[in-house]
Amino acid sequence: MADETNPAPHWQTDFPIERTEATAVSRRDFARYLCLVSGGLAAGSGFVALKAQLAPPAEVVGEHLVCKVNDVPTGGTHAFVIAGSTIPYILIRLESGEWRAYEQKCTHLSCAVYYKPGTGQIECPCHNGFFDARTGEPIAGPPPRPLPSLEVVVKGEDIYVKAFRHE
Amino acid sequence: MSNFREAQSKAHPNKSNTLLSALICVLIFNIGMQIWLLYTALNNALGKHTRIAWPAFIGSLILFLIGFFWLYFIPMGKDKNQQPGKNKYR
Ligand code: FES
Repeated sequence: MADETNPAPHWQTDFPIERTEATAVSRRDFARYLCLVSGGLAAGSGFVALKAQLAPPAEVVGEHLVCKVNDVPTGGTHAFVIAGSTIPYILIRLESGEWRAYEQKCTHLSCAVYYKPGTGQIECPCHNGFFDARTGEPIAGPPPRPLPSLEVVVKGEDIYVKAFRHE
Repeated sequence: MSNFREAQSKAHPNKSNTLLSALICVLIFNIGMQIWLLYTALNNALGKHTRIAWPAFIGSLILFLIGFFWLYFIPMGKDKNQQPGKNKYR
């Protein structure tokens, strides 16, 4: 075997002289790349599952004072954060007199959303996403999920928020 | 040794071509399903419905394994018919 001439050593196939040879991807290699991508996607799914299992997003614990009832006019909003967390929230006093508190991060790409007074809708200006201000459900545009919300408790003149009880 | 396979390949040179195309189609189809699974799992996990994440992962893994062992069927064309020891670096 030693005296056999080898017409195409490794370096020649890996670093061919002709440019076209270097850039051409054979269909066999393409199939292998597809398999590689497939492995990557499976790994990504595994990561999502692990993250959901091991590091679920922290829940809000306890009740937190936000502001006084008189601080927010009807149809108005009040931005707040909960102590010890950086998630921005908005408190909305709907025209119907109901109170709502939502995370101020669009579920599409995390832009800041705002309440459009008089429409009953929360708008995300980035890609024109709209949410129903009563339920937080997305009603138009790219957002795929409802806005995460907090329960609003009115005690006399004070407004508190707390996490919704999960079933 | 029988030269049946060789003769067949010579008589129908398109065969491995078609096979390879079919193989790639199946791989692309699998990847499409995996993208959908990943999207669904992520979307639901972020919306606090985490129970779909593990089944989606298992499905995705199975699809990957199918694709992986699918590669075994890639027709190797002329290279495979070469005599052992000759041009083995090709
Ligand atoms: S970030 Fe809100 S719609 Fe895209």
